Amino acid sequence: MPQFTHGDVTIEVDEHGFMAEPTAWNDEVARALATAEGVTEMTEEHWKIVRYLRDYWVQFGIAPMVRKLCKETGLPLKQVYELFPSGPANGACKVAGLPKPTGCV
Amino acid sequence: MSDRPHPPRVADIGVPSEVLSPVDLQALVPLPPPYDGIDARTIWKELSAERRTEVDASLDGVSALSLARPADGDGERRQLEALAAGLVRLLGRDDNWAFLQPLLLSLEHCTHCQTCADACPLFVGSGGNEVYRPTYRSDVVRRLLARYGPGGNPIRAALAGRVELNWTTLARLAELAYRCTLCRRCMQSCPIGVDNGLIARELRKLLSQELGIAPTDLHAKGSEQQLAVGSSTGMSPAALRDVVEFIDEETSERVGFKVSTPWDREGADVLLLHNAGEFLSWPENPGAFAVIMQQAGISWTLSSELVGYDAVNYGLWYDDAQFARVATRQAEIARRLKVRKVVIGECGHAHKALAVVADRILGPDAVPRESFAPFLAAIVGSGALRLDPARNDFPVTLHDPCNLARGLGIVEAPRRVLRAVAPRFREMTPHGVDNYCCGGGSGFAIMSPNNFAAWRTLVAGRMKFRQVLEAFADEPGPDVPKYLCAPCSNCKGQFRELLRAYGAWERSRLTYGGLVELVVNAMTDVRPGYLEWEPH
Repeated sequence: MPQFTHGDVTIEVDEHGFMAEPTAWNDEVARALATAEGVTEMTEEHWKIVRYLRDYWVQFGIAPMVRKLCKETGLPLKQVYELFPSGPANGACKVAGLPKPTGCV
Repeated sequence: MSDRPHPPRVADIGVPSEVLSPVDLQALVPLPPPYDGIDARTIWKELSAERRTEVDASLDGVSALSLARPADGDGERRQLEALAAGLVRLLGRDDNWAFLQPLLLSLEHCTHCQTCADACPLFVGSGGNEVYRPTYRSDVVRRLLARYGPGGNPIRAALAGRVELNWTTLARLAELAYRCTLCRRCMQSCPIGVDNGLIARELRKLLSQELGIAPTDLHAKGSEQQLAVGSSTGMSPAALRDVVEFIDEETSERVGFKVSTPWDREGADVLLLHNAGEFLSWPENPGAFAVIMQQAGISWTLSSELVGYDAVNYGLWYDDAQFARVATRQAEIARRLKVRKVVIGECGHAHKALAVVADRILGPDAVPRESFAPFLAAIVGSGALRLDPARNDFPVTLHDPCNLARGLGIVEAPRRVLRAVAPRFREMTPHGVDNYCCGGGSGFAIMSPNNFAAWRTLVAGRMKFRQVLEAFADEPGPDVPKYLCAPCSNCKGQFRELLRAYGAWERSRLTYGGLVELVVNAMTDVRPGYLEWEPH
């Protein structure tokens, strides 16, 4: 299993860079993972997205629909892409410590 | 074309070398302008030297299975013995209940006329990579059967031609089982109906059931997860209810009246079974279904029981046991709900799985199953919906999902719908039962280990992408929005990748979606603009 290291943070990730152990996630891990997504500073809006994704995943075990993410955070998709250049699924979900989505999605 | 000294022969599969038959980016079938200017290397992904030491990519430089050579000789021997024993069972009447007869006919009667090679989108699209030739894989299987199958012996093997059973053969053959989308265009073109796609599928089954070799995305995270959690997406019943509640809200806002999805309604006429990926990635599709059901006055329901809300059955692609587990659960849920029929949503492989192959295990009293396509054509034809086709004033073409068209012969029904709602509909060439696979068939669209996704986009989807562009050749530019109608979740996943990789939204204003969305977009009860023209 590949490892991802940034500063003091070392975590196991899958080959696409998603956390292998999503329960080991915390704010420090999020900041570290964000650097790999080209996000140098986690702003309030970054956190808003990450917290929403994280809470949804803890409650339901999956990532929320993109449309729901936008509606609940009040951030249009275009802005989500500006904040996380790889997009909501491959960028924001990764930083929020969610596993890679599965099935026909 | 290629600077290969000579194409690999069948026996070469067991001769160790770095890569038997590499993907040749220069040889790929050309695309029309402006796509001819795209350098394939910008989409391609070469496996690193380090990764090549970890996983076997010695077939063509690609790894779908992340196969690692067993650490010791014993482990390797056990795998080879399991393959040999599996070859016997594959042709045993007691062990192969699903496809024995067509398999035997296909193994025994091929005359190597090579009509199939010209029909195979992988072989042609790749520029003639020899290992993608439909008969190449089948001949390796035939030779192994002559030595290790029922009645196999050295004399038969000598007559059939040599293939050594070693780790190199096993690893390459396993990968080769996943260089065919099971689209069965080869079978369609074969003068005697030899089904090389079925041979590839049965090879996958042998690998899964006897050796435990299957793509993670189809097995561990696919059918296993579906049986445990309820859906291969990981969506539990609680998550499903949350998601659909949101879809109902969104749909109501978009159409301008209240739309609500009924749950677990015993005695409803129709149990609608969607591919669960639709809820999460293409919510406008189940939303459109709900609008149509409601406005047409159909008595219908969704199920919130485990497996009862996910039409997928990945076992169809690789494992009979997993197939049976999922199909029997789905049928049991329909029986308990006392519905008159199950209608399968826009998911190609679920059609073949539940409407056809499941007949082998369900028996004559099972709840009838019907495709959304004739179901929808009947609703549209009945006049139950008020339609204004002028609302769909843009070019539309139809991708025939292989499992619908070639698999079930469902060709006319989606066209009846399109003729009623899409005045600028045009056919692709060829289409119907002669269509090309999207390149994501048999689960490829959801498999992305190593460099497999790049291979799928560049090689497997090549012929289809070219065909789609040609269908819009009269209005190619970005000034005219175009709709590629692809009524199948797997195909949509593949088109999403293809359009994104080639920048087809920017270059051609080309987007994709299902069939029901076009119907709802034309409904006069509905606020104009159900379709959102955004890249997605």
